[in-house]
Amino acid sequence: MTDNIQTRKFLKMSASPHINSPINTRIIMLDVIIALLPILVWSIYVFGIRTLWITLISVASCVVFEYIYRKILKKSNTVGDLSAVVTGMLLAYSLPSTVPLWMPALGAFFAIVIVKQLYGGIGKNILNPALAARVFLFISFSKELSTYAVPHSSDVVAGATPLALLQKGTIPETGLFDMFLGDMTGCIGEISVTLILLGGIYLIARKVITWHIPVSFIATVALLTLVFPAQNAPNVSFMLYELCSGGLMLGAVFMATDYATSPVTKAGRLIYGIGCGLITVFIRYFGYPEGVSFAILIMNLFTLALDKITAPVKFGGGNKIGEKK
Amino acid sequence: MSMAKTFRGGIHVPESKNTKDFAICEFPSPKVVSIPMQQHIGAPATPLVKKGDSVKIGQVIGRFDSGLSCPVHASVSGVVKDVEMRPSYTGFGKTAHVIIENDFKDEISEEVKPFDGDIYNASIEEVTEKVKEAGISGMGGAAFPTYAKISSAVGKASDIIINCAECEPYITANHRLMLEEPETIINGAKILKNALKVDSVIFAVEANKKDAAKVLSENIGDEKGLKVVILKTKYPQGDERQLIFALKGVELPAGKLPADVGCVIFNAETASAVYKAMKTGMPLVKRVVTVDGDALSEPKNIRVPIGTSYEDIFNFCGGVKENIGRIISGGPMMGNAQWSYDSVVMKNTSAILALSEKEEKKKSEGNCIHCGKCVSVCPMHLMPNYLAAFSKVDNKEMCEKFNILSCVECGCCTYICPGRVPIVQHIRNTKAQINAQRKKMAASAAEKM
Repeated sequence: MTDNIQTRKFLKMSASPHINSPINTRIIMLDVIIALLPILVWSIYVFGIRTLWITLISVASCVVFEYIYRKILKKSNTVGDLSAVVTGMLLAYSLPSTVPLWMPALGAFFAIVIVKQLYGGIGKNILNPALAARVFLFISFSKELSTYAVPHSSDVVAGATPLALLQKGTIPETGLFDMFLGDMTGCIGEISVTLILLGGIYLIARKVITWHIPVSFIATVALLTLVFPAQNAPNVSFMLYELCSGGLMLGAVFMATDYATSPVTKAGRLIYGIGCGLITVFIRYFGYPEGVSFAILIMNLFTLALDKITAPVKFGGGNKIGEKK
Repeated sequence: MSMAKTFRGGIHVPESKNTKDFAICEFPSPKVVSIPMQQHIGAPATPLVKKGDSVKIGQVIGRFDSGLSCPVHASVSGVVKDVEMRPSYTGFGKTAHVIIENDFKDEISEEVKPFDGDIYNASIEEVTEKVKEAGISGMGGAAFPTYAKISSAVGKASDIIINCAECEPYITANHRLMLEEPETIINGAKILKNALKVDSVIFAVEANKKDAAKVLSENIGDEKGLKVVILKTKYPQGDERQLIFALKGVELPAGKLPADVGCVIFNAETASAVYKAMKTGMPLVKRVVTVDGDALSEPKNIRVPIGTSYEDIFNFCGGVKENIGRIISGGPMMGNAQWSYDSVVMKNTSAILALSEKEEKKKSEGNCIHCGKCVSVCPMHLMPNYLAAFSKVDNKEMCEKFNILSCVECGCCTYICPGRVPIVQHIRNTKAQINAQRKKMAASAAEKM
């Protein structure tokens, strides 16, 4: 079929470039969801079907809150970019499977409405929504947030996570291999180091994230715990237990790499990851048994400053950003 | 084998070089040509002909001699039908067009005379003069008058770079020229080499045109000082800054010319035009154009008279399809959308693309998700995300602090942006405003003096 040119005298104008990469926000978020899914399946196997309900409630609440908020404020609908789904999954992953079913919904409200949308929506929030909501719930309901399911059983256990033992310098009974595999107690998404690392490799291969934050974050924790083990614990195994325990891997791979709240430059990302590692170990040694959430949230606040001080030198040299000529 | 040379940043775009096997075909002489008086950077030419005048091929029909400009020549023989103001191809302002009705006699003007003497021993003055009279300006897209570029390099350049990168998607005009007329490019380069008294000519070819690189190498033979270098296929490899960096490892500072770092760069077809002007005396009245795009019936490479309308060209290429969305003059990354089929081929029109409307449904501008992809692809090492954000709120001061004026508007940032933020469009807007402001300030400062 050819068009009669005379009937189409005036054409659409647009400014160059006239083509776009096929990769859009939705595809990126879909990749994150794909990387997160195996972790959920494993967790259902370890903690039972309740894990799934918690996750579904969290995801559904995030999506619904985002939809309603944007609708009420007559803003464009952004549910389709799937970022609310990712937030919902990450929020659920950072909760124990034993929490009451209303709790993920409350957390979703905090994450989506207060942390994300009040600041302008995707890309504009200064804190990681899922982590901020987790900390909000942790401070408000610390008992519920510290009660974990025992793997493959209906029993629950309060507080006695491997990290609580490590803080006292005791090596936990759970074998290192089980810890690495994820056959242990903990939050829904943090137990399987193996699957989290595989997810990270997938995201790096798909160019969704770069290696800088996860590697510098984990390496910093590894170095510090190796050099300064708590009490008289044996160095190497103490370090390995520290790496496999708590939310470190989940945080380093999926939370600290959140676009909106982490730097855009490579150097900035390295510093950011090192900062996360330092604060994590500091809190683990001198404060709560777990410090990953706080560490990342604190480093979130440095994102803009890190972008600015690590701004690349423009091609052809000259003044660095912010410098007077 | 060593790694192909390249630069930091840039993007891999689907090449869409659909026409790379399509030999250049002669476009049948059009009934009418409309020749713009401004096809180059600098002052527009003043029309020298009026309605009713007879003109012959190669005859000067417009020129402006004080300052940077380029003469314009008749590309067909016939009668001047009109001289009228029409919108310029960038969409900004109007340009005089000389409209010539073809008499199909193909008479060549008496003004067309080959260079008198050995073209490979011509002095710099002789070459500059001939190139100027031939109306040659950069054919890769920038349209800078070639005589002025040659003059700027005298005594400064130690390397001539023939830009055969052709890094924009779709375009294969230079590729075909290298395969079909390699000697014209090489001879043009030799003329420039002798005139400028430099020892080295580098033909820079992207790795997706190895066949052309081979043909060039074979035609160069053991000629001293000429060599072919393969560059990694990556956009914008053909940008002069990135080209110099890939070849010489030097970052050209902002505001400096390639000659300041010892280089002078000519597009492949520009070199060919220099040779033809010297050898036959024929000025730049025809050029090779790639006609392609998913809304075009029969993609082609054509050699077409300057001033031929897009309508004639599309009809020659089987017409456009129903789903046509935009037509682009140039490549899809930096080309200009055209508002009408009345647009004409100019000296810097390397491609004409008919693109369909299938792209994502049009929606309001997306959100920056702060992913940093634009930062990692920016070949000028800027932070496009912040530049766009500051541009949006009209914060020119912060834009300048973040080096907005170094942006070369290659469009890598907008291409890669997953949030679909029109980053370079925002930047371009603010850059234009800052430049206008500066011009105004300079003018008022000059007034006070």
